[in-house]
Order: sequence, then C-alpha cells, then structure tokens
Amino acid sequence: MRFMVIVKATKDSEAGVMPSEEMLEAMAKFNEELVKAGVMLDGNGLHPSSKGARIRFSGDKRTVVDGPFAETKELIAGYWIIQVKSREEAIEWMKRCPNPYNEEGEIEIRQLFELEDFGESDAIEHHRKLGEEMAKKK
Amino acid sequence: MRFMILVKATKDTEAGILPPPDHELFKIMTDYHEELTKAGVLLDGNGLKPSSKGWRIYYSGDKRTVVDGPFTEAKELVAGYTIIQTKTREEALEWSRRFPNPSLDGREAEIEVRQLYELEDFGESQSIDRLREMDVGVLGRK
Repeated sequence: MRFMVIVKATKDSEAGVMPSEEMLEAMAKFNEELVKAGVMLDGNGLHPSSKGARIRFSGDKRTVVDGPFAETKELIAGYWIIQVKSREEAIEWMKRCPNPYNEEGEIEIRQLFELEDFGESDAIEHHRKLGEEMAKKK
Repeated sequence: MRFMILVKATKDTEAGILPPPDHELFKIMTDYHEELTKAGVLLDGNGLKPSSKGWRIYYSGDKRTVVDGPFTEAKELVAGYTIIQTKTREEALEWSRRFPNPSLDGREAEIEVRQLYELEDFGESQSIDRLREMDVGVLGRK
C-alpha cells in the first residue's frame, strides 16, 4: 500500500522561509530511517504559492490565475510518498516523523489508488504500459 | 525545474466514485500523460483515495494527536497529482494548460501548479549532503 503524507503550508512556508539546520538534520535522520526500511518512495518541498498558478476549468474553457493564494491552511508545503504493508504501519511511521512546523501544525496521510482499483479497460492497460515505461527511465 | 500539478478533490472524489474503466476521462488522461512521457516531461502521477481512508496528525511541539478522516472541506483536499520536469516556468504553464479537465462530468474543476524545491535551494550543510546521498525526490533526483 502506498500513502501520500501531505505537509500543510504555514505563514513561514508561504513567505519562503527556509527550514533551520536543526530541522533539516531531524528530517534527514527520519528520512534515512525510511530509506533504510525501504519505506520511502519520494519526498519533496514546494515553493511558496506566489511562484505557482491555478487553472480553472469550466467545460472546455481554461482560466489561469497566478499565485499567491490567500488561504494558507489549505495549501501544501511538502509531501512524502511511502510504501508500507498496512495502514497501521503507515500511522506508526508517521507518528515518529519530526514535527515539521516550528510550533503547531498538521500533516495529512492519504492512501494512493493502485491501477488494480480501477478494473480493466484499454485506457487502464495504456496507463499500465506508461508506468512501466517511466519505471525503465528511472 | 520540477512542478507538481495538484488536482483538487470534489464531492465525487470524496465519495470514492471511480469512473468505469472505459470512461472517456481515462482515455483523455492517458493520452495526455503519454504526450508528457514522449516529451520526457513526466516524472510521476497518482490518484488519492478519499480522505475517509486517510488521517491527520496534529503537532503541538512534541505532542502528536491522530485524527481519522473523512475531512469535510472537500475544496481544500487533494485528489491526485502529476509531477513534471521542464526547462522553464512557461513550458510548465503550457503543459498545464493542456491538462485535461479532470472532473467526471466535464464541467467545473481546478488544478494548482507549484514548483518543487531542489536541494540546491537549501544551501550546503551536512544534512543536505545526507539528503543528497539518499537520492529520493528532493533528496537529489535531477
């Protein structure tokens, strides 16, 4: 089972304040454990929303809206992708995650769909082949 | 430069409604991601199960509290994402403009495009070196 761990944005992350060396060290240690246990698949931090954009769809119409976006609590500042055997294992790992915020904050953990969840069709088979192609490139 | 294209949740995604595998949306999305692959732009892409299957961990200093989903604010939730690598922000914007309307009924939807940090953005330190050696995600992939 794969899970996405979402780190929410804060005023600091939206202001582009970089993490302290202490925080980076705590995260490096935690990530190292994840890597050694074969749990970590990916992890990244996002630039502030001021460097981003949104695209609104209405039928075939598209409207581009440049950042920044005001509702900080709804924004994402970073994520991990982890692979574990059970939901409980994912909870156990992430409870050990260093507090990624200076004071209070929240992370959200969500299960990823696997291709098998969608049933079979030409399009799904096409997706599977794309996945295999991408895996080869890595 | 790497960018994350975030697909926002809707009532449908939060209800766990999956389109049938022969739904037009699958074909359109597959065609688009195939173009990304052919152009060497696609790095990753996934769909998230409804928040009812997820949980949140609330931090206050060293304290942690686990809160089970579902979470009510559908508009704030993420339903899926695609990670792309391009030479410029403009190129990323062009690709994202061609992203298919991800809604099931083809009506209203919104995606958000955000640049990812690269390790170089953080400066140099022992921790950054350790992250680089792990070679996962921000942890050093080029």
